[in-house]
Amino acid sequence: MGMSDAWLLPLLPAAAFVALTLLGPYLPRRGDWIAVGAIGGVFVLTLLIIADFTDALAVQGEAFAGVANSIQWLEVPGHLELRLGIHVDAVTIVMLAVVSFVGLMVQVYSLGYMKGDSRYGWYYAVISLFIASMLALVLADNFLLLYFAWELVGICSYLLIGHYSHLRSATEAAKKAFITTRLGDVGLLIAIILLWRETGTFNIQEVIAAAEAGQIGTEILTASVVLLLLGAMGKSAQFPFHVWLPDAMEGPTPVSALIHAATMVVAGVYLVTRMLPLIELVAGGPELLLAIGLLTVFLSATMGLVMTDIKRVIAYSTINSLGLMFVALGVGAPAAAMVYLFTHAFFKALLFLGAGSVIHATERQDVSQLGGLWSKMPITGVTFAIGALSMAGLPFLAGFWAKDEILVSLLDNRAAFVLVLVTLPLTAMYMTRVLILTFFGEPRDPESHEHAHEGSPFMTVPLILLAALTLVSGFVVFDQVGKAMGFPGGIGEIIFLERAHSFEFDVAVGIGSTLLVALGIATAWFAWVARPSVPARSLALLRPVHDLWANKYYLDDLYQAVIDRVVLSIARVVAWFDRNAVNDTGVDGPAYATRYAGYLMKFQQTGKLPNYALGMVIGVVTLALVAFSLKA
Amino acid sequence: MEAVTQQIPLEHFLALSAILFSLGIYGVLTRRNAVLILMSVELMLNAASINMVAFAAYASPELFTGMIFAIFIITVAAAEVGLALAIILRVYRNRGTANVDEVSDLKW
Repeated sequence: MGMSDAWLLPLLPAAAFVALTLLGPYLPRRGDWIAVGAIGGVFVLTLLIIADFTDALAVQGEAFAGVANSIQWLEVPGHLELRLGIHVDAVTIVMLAVVSFVGLMVQVYSLGYMKGDSRYGWYYAVISLFIASMLALVLADNFLLLYFAWELVGICSYLLIGHYSHLRSATEAAKKAFITTRLGDVGLLIAIILLWRETGTFNIQEVIAAAEAGQIGTEILTASVVLLLLGAMGKSAQFPFHVWLPDAMEGPTPVSALIHAATMVVAGVYLVTRMLPLIELVAGGPELLLAIGLLTVFLSATMGLVMTDIKRVIAYSTINSLGLMFVALGVGAPAAAMVYLFTHAFFKALLFLGAGSVIHATERQDVSQLGGLWSKMPITGVTFAIGALSMAGLPFLAGFWAKDEILVSLLDNRAAFVLVLVTLPLTAMYMTRVLILTFFGEPRDPESHEHAHEGSPFMTVPLILLAALTLVSGFVVFDQVGKAMGFPGGIGEIIFLERAHSFEFDVAVGIGSTLLVALGIATAWFAWVARPSVPARSLALLRPVHDLWANKYYLDDLYQAVIDRVVLSIARVVAWFDRNAVNDTGVDGPAYATRYAGYLMKFQQTGKLPNYALGMVIGVVTLALVAFSLKA
Repeated sequence: MEAVTQQIPLEHFLALSAILFSLGIYGVLTRRNAVLILMSVELMLNAASINMVAFAAYASPELFTGMIFAIFIITVAAAEVGLALAIILRVYRNRGTANVDEVSDLKW
């Protein structure tokens, strides 16, 4: 099992999807064991592929540029040849590790969380397809396959967010997620077509090579990079497309973990990482990326501060993290972004699964109804605290190292550096806030608190594993750790061999960021533990700011207004045309004409035999006369 | 056969057939009694048969195609008459008349 056999990976869960869809109701346990088995197989195969990757690195060293394997898909001789294939390099390996491990954890966790759900089998079918499409997306060596997988990820997220289809809010959220990301997807599709027109190939590596050789005109390249970014921004919930992500919390919580940690949202980051050489060729491309990232980081950090839904707070922290990845990509530090993606996957999955544990136990997800769960649910409490503090960026947890990588890469860009630093205490503050409000203090809803209990081992074991990884996974940035694991160095050196990036720990930055994080945590502790009257009093003081944040900067309302005014008025014109021109004239018209013609002609049927006979005679005589006259 | 084709020209047969056919049409169009209409139709059929036989005898006497056709027509006509008379009988039993003018329910 080597890297060139990696095409097997997406096929396993895809086969599970087919099996569950066709046979689901007839299988014992609705076939969940097939889905879990498939993702387990994927995880084992991924480990084998990583071993093969390590060998290849050991043999080829820096010369290793990835393994490709493709088959001919269809050919129009002389015009077009479409190939279908995979490309495995270091970035793919990181993504595979994340997707397969988090996917496995989420599926195991779902065994406990989704137990008794009325659409249990369908849930497992779709989540398998989701993972299959994400694997295909990161393996694809050409834009066509990537785009198929990209759209499949979109449709699966739609199905999963709307899983509780009896809830109107869930179906609305599913539509919102699908349509918002779809806006960006159109851009991606146009970009792919543009690039194909210029280079004649869909192969990603060939397109990048052609662009670097200057074969693509500046205007076309600029347009396609901007459109490409649009697609990535939609999927990765960057401003101004970020609105779908908090609403996506309507789905089952394990799905939120999957969407936010391993699949959907990192697809955009992955695409930008892949296409970074192209983006950097365009003047202003990296700057655009940086600006989007900074704006997203700042907006999400402030909004996360005032949300009361435990899942929504974590959702805003995801947008925050994605913004940070875009910032890192914008300053040309893809290795830092990938390190952040790698560690973020673990602690974000941990946070969501922990939140799911709380929701499962209390059936509440608003922090104003939670509290005091620490003693009731110690495993969830400890693991959630590890995840939250890692997200906050407390030293020596995974999030700290990854965030530090990004900060170091920002040192040359003072403005961005300062802006990111400003958001650090905010992030620390809202993560600590949600932790305190959920697990400490007095229970605000004694009834649900009474019944709260730890979930089954299916739920606690993934939490413990993810917490363990959150504790240690940050250390992969060190060369020594990488070497001990058989790699030539730390993770930053493996990814992007052509742009080696060994980890440099800037003590000043580290201490500074730690102080800021500590400031945020202390503020949160002061406000919600030591002086519980502070939030209420500051709320009275800062009412307008709070309202601005709680209403998400009124962006949702703005979008709704645009939809109401512009989209719906266009829709009304279209509807009028459809009703009058297409329906009444085009469809009903011929029907009425036929009926009227029938009415006119029915009087020929007199019922009198001699009339018919006379008609026949006249007809025959006329035909005979015509025949004779033509002959003559 | 030889003698007949030599003595009488083809046109005479055709004229006879045309006259018979016209008589048939006239009968179909003017008679009201269904039995008489049926008899007129038989006249038309026979006119066609005469045409067949005459053409066969004059054009290719060795093949007998027309004669075979005529025999088929007679067979079909016999079956048709049996069917038609049965229908007329039923109509008469039901309505007490075989007058086609009075049997005109199938109209708009």
